[in-house]
This record gives sequence, C-alpha cells and structure tokens, in this order.
Amino acid sequence: MRRKVSAALRDSLVAEMSSLRAFGVSLCGDKERADDLVQETLFKAWNHLDSFHEGTNLKAWLFTILRNTYFSERRKRRREVEDTDGSYAAQLATPPEQLGHMDMQDFRAVLARLPDDQREALILVGAAGFSYEEAAQISGCPVGTIKSRVNRARVRLAEMLGLAANVDFAPAAATPVIKSA
Amino acid sequence: MATKTMDLSAEARGAHPGESALHERKMEDGFSANLQAHIGRHVRAVFDEVAREPVPERLLRLLKDLEQSGDK
Repeated sequence: MRRKVSAALRDSLVAEMSSLRAFGVSLCGDKERADDLVQETLFKAWNHLDSFHEGTNLKAWLFTILRNTYFSERRKRRREVEDTDGSYAAQLATPPEQLGHMDMQDFRAVLARLPDDQREALILVGAAGFSYEEAAQISGCPVGTIKSRVNRARVRLAEMLGLAANVDFAPAAATPVIKSA
Repeated sequence: MATKTMDLSAEARGAHPGESALHERKMEDGFSANLQAHIGRHVRAVFDEVAREPVPERLLRLLKDLEQSGDK
C-alpha cells in the first residue's frame, strides 16, 4: 500500500519517540523491552496512519497504542505464567527499609512497586504532560478513575517513602515510617 | 522509633466532632501542597531521565525503513 506521510507528521513521530520510550520504561521497567514496545508501536501506528487525523493529538494516540500493546501482552503472558506480578518490582527493588535519604534510585524502586494502573495514571498526568481527560482516553477509563488512581498512587508513594501526609519535610527528614501493606 | 505525625486524633485534642472533619480536610490540603509537589518532581525526574536519552539507532532505522517501504 502506498503511504504518503507528510514531513511534518514524520518529524512529530520522531519527536515523540523519546517520551514514548520513557513511558514504556515506566510501564515495564526494562529498557530493552520498552524499545520493543516502541518499535511495535511505531509499526502499528505507521500501518494505521490513515486512521489518524493529522492535527489531532498524535502523542496521545501513540501512547494509547503503546499501553494497549503492553497490557495485552501482559495479559497473554499472565495466562501462560502464573506470576508476572512482582517480577518488575523485583528487578528494580531496593528494599524500602534501606531508605535513608531519598534519591532517584529509591524513588524508582517505590514507583515500580505501585500497581500498574496507578503507576500508569501517575506517569501520564504527572510526567508525560497529559490532562486528566487525555489520560482517561489513553487508558480507556472514566476521568474519575484516573483521578482516583493518581491520588492513590501519591498516597501509596508517600507511605512507602515514609513521608507523613501533613509534615513539612526537609530533604534530610525523619525516620522512615514504613507501613506494611 | 518512628514519630507518629498524622494521628493526633481530634478526641485526643479534646476537639468537637465538627473540628475533626475540618482537620482532615486540612491534612488533605497539606498533602496536595507539599507532598504532591515533592512527589511530582521525582516522578518527572524519573521520566525525564529516560526521555533525555538519545533515541536508540534501531528505532530511528525502523522509521526510515517504514518510510522507504511506503515510498515504493
């Protein structure tokens, strides 16, 4: 099939690859696999470019394809192997007990321990720059669901990091309060 | 021993029941303001760290390949 892709659209695809990749990594926790996801996403996007209306939200469209690819693979895999849960967290895990000062590695580790849907919502809204409405479209759920996932994610992170909700914490703050789940 | 910071109950402070709800609302706001910003910075940092990396060659090549196959 002949495909005519405008230079502008091609440039936008290239431009979105970096954030698409970052999204993939935050979903699966593994760069190699994230690159596979991006590759598959580009491939699918390319083959369905006719269903994309230029001028609409390309980034959201690409993110949707990537997350659907990821979650459907995950479902498939889960049917085959019992435990996929925790495998991601295990890869990155730094035991939360070791948290003294909070650095990036600590944060990555606790982020990895969030339930998939909460992590996804938090990344979409908190890092990838989507509105709640866009995030809801990408994840295929109501806006209210996204909002509550983001809230739960924040509360969960705060708990895991031992940051009490009403404290004015300093960087070197306090003994971590680890709540067992 | 960890200090318990969140759990100064309204009763313990001898407050009226109505104050308790107000107190909780304030805590939520406290959460949104400070903690939310703090967590937000870290979420963005984790994301940006990867996003700033150069796009792997194989992905750029794929795009080129797709384009060429489309031009035929």
